[in-house]
This record gives sequence, structure tokens and C-alpha cells, in this order.
Amino acid sequence: MIKKLTLLILIFILFISFVLISYQAKGKLKFSGINFSQIIAPITYLKDLLEDLFYLREENQQLKIRLYEISLKEKSNQELINENKRLKSFLDLKETRKDIVTVARVISKGSNKFMKTLWIDKGNKQGVQKDFTVITFNGLVGKVVSVTSNFSEVLLLTDPNFSVAVRVERTRTEGILSGTGNGCILNYIPLEEEILVGDRIITSGLDGIFPEGILIGAVKSTTKKEGLFQKVNVIPIQREHNIEEVAVIKKSL
Amino acid sequence: MKKFLKWSIFILITFFLQELITISTIRLNFSILLIYKFIVEHFFPKEEQRNITPSEVLPLLFFVLIGFFDDLTQGIIGPSIISKTIAGTSLIILAKQLFFHWTEQFKGLIIFLLTLIDEVIYSVVIIYFFNFQFDNLLLTKTILIRALFNIPIGLVISWRKP
Repeated sequence: MIKKLTLLILIFILFISFVLISYQAKGKLKFSGINFSQIIAPITYLKDLLEDLFYLREENQQLKIRLYEISLKEKSNQELINENKRLKSFLDLKETRKDIVTVARVISKGSNKFMKTLWIDKGNKQGVQKDFTVITFNGLVGKVVSVTSNFSEVLLLTDPNFSVAVRVERTRTEGILSGTGNGCILNYIPLEEEILVGDRIITSGLDGIFPEGILIGAVKSTTKKEGLFQKVNVIPIQREHNIEEVAVIKKSL
Repeated sequence: MKKFLKWSIFILITFFLQELITISTIRLNFSILLIYKFIVEHFFPKEEQRNITPSEVLPLLFFVLIGFFDDLTQGIIGPSIISKTIAGTSLIILAKQLFFHWTEQFKGLIIFLLTLIDEVIYSVVIIYFFNFQFDNLLLTKTILIRALFNIPIGLVISWRKP
């Protein structure tokens, strides 16, 4: 146990304290507390700054994620708007062309190493048949070369195996358009025919496969040096790398 | 003189940290740890000082001093002096009992109880004399957080080589 002296001092301290408290409680005595906050203000400021930095970093990270999400959503919305536009164009196309069998979505590029093809998500079940013409609202894409029940393979018009009977829209000159791998070449145009750069090329319908009047492309350049015919380079109107939806139309017969 | 300087620095740092560190608006009670450390060093000195009989008055004055500083920060002189002195005196009584083994677990328990006694007495005095309104649950939670938080710090500051 503690000594008597200690106990006495303890009682004295407690007594004094209680007296002080009583006086303060009654409002007869007042002490102004030391405001430590002013003394430690620089440290507090530094601490707050560090906390802010930490939270700012975290907030920045969250905002970045949010921004990324929003930009993704925005992109997806833009994508939907674009798709909507394309589908509207197809609807217009369907209004004007009554021979459309179906509208299909391009699902992949063809895996054939030697042929430029792409796969669409419509097949036999939707009425697609071999040699049916495939177009977009811009112009000719190619023709169906193989059909399964739900999918079809389309040979693109830039493929060297592709040929179509065409006509120069302005002069009505007929010829055969073939793919070259990168673009197209218009064959069998007599030397005396005056073909100008920019002339539009359309299908003539004489091959019995492609309906008449489908836009193919425009003349890029002409060369009249070789043989009986001139060499006409054509740029397809429908670029092959941005085909997403296509319309399949019946044979012209 | 060396001891006085050491304790002055301790007190300064403790009150400084007490003002600085908060756990989601709860102020911690580090000043009771000063009392704990003082008692441990005073009643369980290192080898070369063991022949000196420890005084009881010196710790008592130290409690008053710490309580007074604590009260100064609050603007009411007295409650903390009472609570710290009673808590400190109970620790003196405990320290003088020879049958306790001061293991780390025991020290932890002592720190917890010491903080609890200090906080409860302080709260009772404040509530009784000044009619402060407290949310009982929040008060209990605050006291427990302070007591629990003091355990590891108390153990660290009173740690000695075995």
C-alpha cells in the first residue's frame, strides 16, 4: 500500500482540484485553454497536405477509370448512332430495291489465303444462294461464292478471280471489270473510246449474275499504249475494310 | 538534469502528437502513457539504480503536472488532474505489489485498464460538474478505442531487453 504522506498529498490534490472545478462550473473562475492548434499549425498543414495528396492521387485514379468508362460509353453510343445511320440507309435501299433478299452483318474476313472474301451471317435459311450479288448502300461489294445454312462467303470485287460485266455510265461503253488484288481493272474498252478519270462504272447486267445499274466505282487512270484495248484502272466505291452490313440481292435473271 | 530534460522532451512530444493524431475525429489519450512509462521507470529501474528506494511523492507530482497540461489544452483545470492522479496512484499501488509478473500481456492489460480508469473518471467529473451531454454509446466507443490504441504504444515505449 502507499504511504500516509502520499495519501495525504493525494487527498489534498483531489480537494484542490474539486474546489477549482466547482468554481469553474459555477463560472466564478475561468481559464483560457492553450490553443495548440496554432502551435502545431505548420505540422497540421503538412499533414493535411500529405492527406490531400494521397486522396488526390486516389481520386485521380478513380476519375481516370470513370473517364475511361465514359469514353467507352461515348464510343459505344457513337457506334450505335453510326449503325443506326447505316441501317437507315439499308432501309432506304430496301425501299428502292425490291430484289433484296436479306440484309446481313459481316462477321469475319475470309480465311482463304488466295481469295479475298468475307463471311456474312445469313445463309440458305434466309434465302441466300450462290452467285447472289452483295451490295452496300454505296455500291457493289462482291458475290456469294459459298453458302451454308446460316452463313455465306462473299468474294470481294477486288479479288483477281472476280469479274463483272460493266458499263461506263457517261459513255455507255461496255467492258469487263476484274479485281487486281488492290483495286479493279476495266478490260476490253476499245482504244477509240474516250474514258475520263472520274467516270462512274456501273454494272451492265449482261453477265446474267449482277443486276443492272449497281455502282461499282470510278475511273482512276487510263492507259492507251498496249494492244487493241485501253487499260482502265478503277477505284471501287465501297472500300473493303469498312464493310459492316451488306444487302444480298437476287440474280438479275 | 538529464532526466528532467528527457521527460520535458517526452511530455512535449506526447502532447504534440496527442493534438496531431486523430482517428476519424477521435482524439487519442497519449498522456496516460507518460504516467505509465514514468511509473515503470520509477518503480522498476535499471540494475544500477535498484538500491534507491523509489519515492511516491515524485510520481504524484508528475501526475498532477501531466493532468494540469492536459487540462490546459481543454480549458478546464481539474478533471484531468483528478483522473490522472487517481489512475496513477492505482498504478503505484499495483507496482508495489510483488506478486505480479510484469509480462507483456499483463502490461497490455494494465495499460488498457489505466486508460479506462482515466477516461471514466474524467468523463464522470465533466458530466457531473458541467452537465455536458454525451451519447453513451459514442462515449463508450471512444473510451474503448483510446484504451485499445494505447496498448501497443504502451508496450513499445516500455519495452526492455529481456
